[in-house]
Amino acid sequence: MLACIPTASLFGVDADPVTIEVQVHSGLPCTTVVGGPDATCREAKERVRAAFASCGFEWPNKRVTINLSPAWQKKRGSAIDLAMAVGILLASEQLPAGSISGYAFLGELGLDGAVRPVVGVVPLAEAAGGDPLVVPAAQVVDAGLASSRVVGVGHLGDLVRALKGEAPWPLAHSPKPGHRRAPRPDLADVRGQAVARAALEVAAAGGHHLLLTGPPGGGKTMLAERLPGLLPPLTQAEALEVTKIHSAAGVLPVGAGLLDEPPYEAPHTTASAIALIGGGSSQLRPGAISLAHRGVLFLDELGEQRPVVLECLRQPLEEGVIRIHRAIGSATLPARFLLVAAMNPCPCGEGGGRRCRCQPGERLRYARRLSAPLLDRFDLRLHVPRAEPGQLLGEAAGEATAVVAARVAVARRRSIARGTSINALVPGSRLDELAPLDRAARRLLAGLLARGGLSARGLHRVRRVALTLADLAGADPPLTEEHVGTALGLRAELATLQAAS
Amino acid sequence: MTVAAGRRPVAPPAEAYLAALAGLPGMGPRRLGALLEVNSGAAAAWASVVAGTSAADPAVAATLGRDPAGRAARWAVDAQAVEPEELLARHRAAGVTLLTPWHAAWPARLVDDPEPPAMLCTRGDPAALAGPACALVGTRSCSGEGRRTAHDIGRDLADAGVAVVSGLALGIDGAAHRGALAAGPGAGGPVGVVAGGVDVAYPPSHAGLFDEVAAAGALVSEAPLGTPPERWRFPARNRIIAALADVVVVVESHDRGGSMHTVDAAIDRGRTVGAVPGPVRSPASTGTNALLADQALVVRDAEDVLAALGLGGALVPRRGAQPECATPPLLAADATVLDAVGFAPTTTDEVVVTAGIGLGPVLTSLHRLASAGRVDAGPGTWSRRGDTRR
Repeated sequence: MLACIPTASLFGVDADPVTIEVQVHSGLPCTTVVGGPDATCREAKERVRAAFASCGFEWPNKRVTINLSPAWQKKRGSAIDLAMAVGILLASEQLPAGSISGYAFLGELGLDGAVRPVVGVVPLAEAAGGDPLVVPAAQVVDAGLASSRVVGVGHLGDLVRALKGEAPWPLAHSPKPGHRRAPRPDLADVRGQAVARAALEVAAAGGHHLLLTGPPGGGKTMLAERLPGLLPPLTQAEALEVTKIHSAAGVLPVGAGLLDEPPYEAPHTTASAIALIGGGSSQLRPGAISLAHRGVLFLDELGEQRPVVLECLRQPLEEGVIRIHRAIGSATLPARFLLVAAMNPCPCGEGGGRRCRCQPGERLRYARRLSAPLLDRFDLRLHVPRAEPGQLLGEAAGEATAVVAARVAVARRRSIARGTSINALVPGSRLDELAPLDRAARRLLAGLLARGGLSARGLHRVRRVALTLADLAGADPPLTEEHVGTALGLRAELATLQAAS
Repeated sequence: MTVAAGRRPVAPPAEAYLAALAGLPGMGPRRLGALLEVNSGAAAAWASVVAGTSAADPAVAATLGRDPAGRAARWAVDAQAVEPEELLARHRAAGVTLLTPWHAAWPARLVDDPEPPAMLCTRGDPAALAGPACALVGTRSCSGEGRRTAHDIGRDLADAGVAVVSGLALGIDGAAHRGALAAGPGAGGPVGVVAGGVDVAYPPSHAGLFDEVAAAGALVSEAPLGTPPERWRFPARNRIIAALADVVVVVESHDRGGSMHTVDAAIDRGRTVGAVPGPVRSPASTGTNALLADQALVVRDAEDVLAALGLGGALVPRRGAQPECATPPLLAADATVLDAVGFAPTTTDEVVVTAGIGLGPVLTSLHRLASAGRVDAGPGTWSRRGDTRR
């Protein structure tokens, strides 16, 4: 007899529907898995067989052929275990025909028959469909984000009894409130540093990429960590998108539910290009830049990153996605993040001061490691000096995250009201219409352009930041000299960031 | 040009051997001096090096460090690749003069020198080594203010007919020579003293400056063409800078910088040492301020140097000098911000706090002030630009 069971298999941040076809027919007793299984899928048959033994089901003493349809597509992961078990039970008539019409199944089986959580349950649930969709009990909340009717099971035996009508379905777990995430660090901890605080606020309000240079101990990391808290909470659609990516990457805690806070990713300097941008030979896993989608990506020690990694960042910075091509296929992964990068001014970090141990030539070479096109992508560039001891102890706490976030939210609403998403993405062709300049501002920029102090692209970037400053101040266009002057002040010339030579 | 004209000498002249010797790796002035003394002449000294017997004499061996025999053996191998006559021909083809102490153009300042170079490989006009000369030296990691000061003093000295002697390094050295090159016609030709061969541009980014200095004045080295600038050659080069100048002025230097070698060499040779005062908190001025505390000549501008050279009043007012009164009056906000910026680098945060008119207006004012040349931007800092003119 033939059984067809719907399930799904993960690819990139999405999943494809897969049908498990099981045929039990006459012949020498033998079980074969065909249809593009990877090693994990091929092992599924051994897990299912052991689970059958534990639950007292009978493995057919016939020829069993299991096909993962469509057969041309590579399948990966253990999420098909449950569907395979149900298919064999049905094909060997241990389950009544018709008992599972409309069902789809996701879950990994333990040797004892336990149904265990799977990686990527959110996109898998979306692709598998099913009414109802049977998922591991621990992941009912997560799967429920993408599918309307979800039932959870903890054990293969429970599932079969429920399908046969011998026992009620295990009670749907009352969705636990999502995992309490650790509270985010507060901006009030940052003492002094008026310029850096302003830059964070502008970055959050306009989605402008931010480059911080300065000696170790200046607080670059501390500032970056406080940026996600300033971003507005994710909308329902954005939250689902982010949750899907984190689920597909296998970093979503089981039962965590919707991720509604902007994510913060800080990959280590030694992370490989694959870990950063995503990929891999057997499956296209999302990398750190996709995990930072709709949130903040913090790259510390930008000067120490390998050049190949930095060049990989160009496409996502430009288009908000990363396209990955591999032998097993290609995928487009979302990667629209707010980039905060930190770098030391020279190898020793002191940047030419009294304590600097670097030769002038070394400092020049260090500064040249980063390509100008990459550095040009940063709308905001500033130097964070090491705080004076008196400043650390003496000054009062600054404004708290909540106060600044409220201003950011108002500014974002103004830019959305103009019909654009964030100011950093306003096309250059619409700047004249959306960000007109008053006479003094025009004179200021014209002087700078005439002296060669600003490129055409740089001009656009300054105007976008100035527009964000106007939004934060609640001022309507035209932009004034102060908006433009402040934007220029927050975008330090690269030459001044690099130590004097 | 350097050989007795007319007859072709049977053996190559002595400068060919001197050049060959001076280009050997590790051949410092002390070793070369000992070799020449012991062997009575450059040709004999070269012959001893080629034969591998250079360490035979104890006076030479004493200068060769821990392993005199090994050093002599290595020299013998290195010397195989050098053909003195061919080396001399290369210098002639390149238009480079090999000055030796018996040459008419040998600088008078080197005659009584305690450790003179054996020869000076000179690209450009040897006459540039004759007139009044002032060395302008300093750190490679200088401040913008130091760079401008070096440039202006260099330019004004050249205008007064004084040769600016420097090392063509990054920072102060390069700025001083650029200033000298910016002087008007009839100015004193700059003298560049380099560590490697005069055709080996180091740092590479100064290749253009090498050519300009050679064209306007003279580029000299005690090493022949093609010699790589080994590390030890730089301090040795500094003594020649001091020797070729009447006054040595340090514009900016850290307290243990290479400029201090030049100062030591200048003191050994009885040269006047001057220093440009700097902000007490500026790391680039710690060395110069220490020199001033030790009674060095205070150098605020070229006039101070000219007075020390006995040329007071030689400086004609610069053509087209910016009139002081042309500075436009400042906006009230800009004046407030300018007051908040110190002459030593002040962080933007400090300026914001001191000025107290809000971040946006402060940044805007700082931009206006920087455009007007009233303040200089550093990494996260601002400093007020001083005026060197009195």
